[in-house]
Parts: sequence; structure tokens; C-alpha cells
Amino acid sequence: MASNRPKRRFRRRVKVCRFTVEKINYIDYKDVELLREYTPTNGKILPRRVTGTRPAFQHKLTRAIKRARYMALLPYVGQ
Amino acid sequence: MPLYELGVIIDPEVDPESETAALERLQAIITDAGGSLVEQNAWGRRQLAYPIRKKNFGVYHFWKFEVGGEIIDKLIFELRTNDAVMRSLVLNLDTELRRKRKMDAKQVARAAAKAAKRAAAAEAEEG
Repeated sequence: MASNRPKRRFRRRVKVCRFTVEKINYIDYKDVELLREYTPTNGKILPRRVTGTRPAFQHKLTRAIKRARYMALLPYVGQ
Repeated sequence: MPLYELGVIIDPEVDPESETAALERLQAIITDAGGSLVEQNAWGRRQLAYPIRKKNFGVYHFWKFEVGGEIIDKLIFELRTNDAVMRSLVLNLDTELRRKRKMDAKQVARAAAKAAKRAAAAEAEEG
């Protein structure tokens, strides 16, 4: 029975949406420092599954990142 | 008149006179149409995340301005035809910020409702 087996303990990290917490309601494409946190060095956009960002903010975030890419503030492909 | 945001990357190898000339022309397009510059922000020379026109650096300028919408086509045409401009982006900040204002208002309302509820609860406890 499952209860007899040693319980596998998951320490689920609590992911919070930064934009909800800090009440950032507009994501500016010029804010490169903020956008960098959501793009690893390979340049991809981190999914909300990983970061815990709320869908509404994830939409805004992707738009901001894509704009920043167009303006050569962020790379399309990283190292 | 809506508020717009403009970002331009200027060729770093172009001489300073033609850089200022290009910026002045853009400014002239805005002011001649009765618009006004709200904010001018020059980031200066900055490394590009990837080369544009085989150049690794660019001179960044970000402006905020108010102008009638019909001028934007003219402005974009100027940006596209000017050789000193490597890349540009014009955003309508009014539409961009509309949702921000809505969310801000919502948050304020929610905070107010919470405070009211707390005050009511405190009153009930006292009574």
C-alpha cells in the first residue's frame, strides 16, 4: 500500500507572479533588467509554468520581450 | 492628441551633425503638426544584442510626444528613409497604458473595499 512506503517528500517551491506582487501593471520593453530575468542566456522566453507568472502578465511580458528584441536590447538567439 | 513613444537606434558611425540633423527633422515633423515633445531620453551609445547593418553599437534615443495620429505615417516614412536611422519603433502609449489604468483603478477599488470591510469588522467587534 502506498501509505506503507516511505513518503516521498516534495518540497514544491512556491512560485509567485512578480507582476501581481509588485503591482507592475505595464511592462516596458526598455526595462531590460526586468526582461532579462525571464530570458535565460539562450534568449528564449521562460514559460509561465516555470516562472509562475499570471497569464495576463505573461502576454504582456512576451510582447515586451519581442519589442526589446526588435530594438536590439535583447538577443533573438543567445549563446 | 494621443501620446506616443518613439525609440530610434542611430548609426554610431554617422557624424554627430547628421545625427542631430536627423533628430531635429523628426522633432520638426512633430512640432510643425502642432504636437509637443513630452520627454526626451537619450541613452547614448550602447552595445546591440545582435549586429544591425554589420554594426555592433547603436545610439539610442527614446522620446515621448503628443501628436495627431495622421502625422505618424509621415514620421515613420521619415524614419524609414533616413539613412542615419538604423531601427525605430513607434508605440501608441494611450492604447498601451489603457489596461494599466484599468488595472490600477481595480487595485485601488479592491484596496478600498478591503479597508472598508476591515473598518466594518472592527466596528462590529466593538459593538
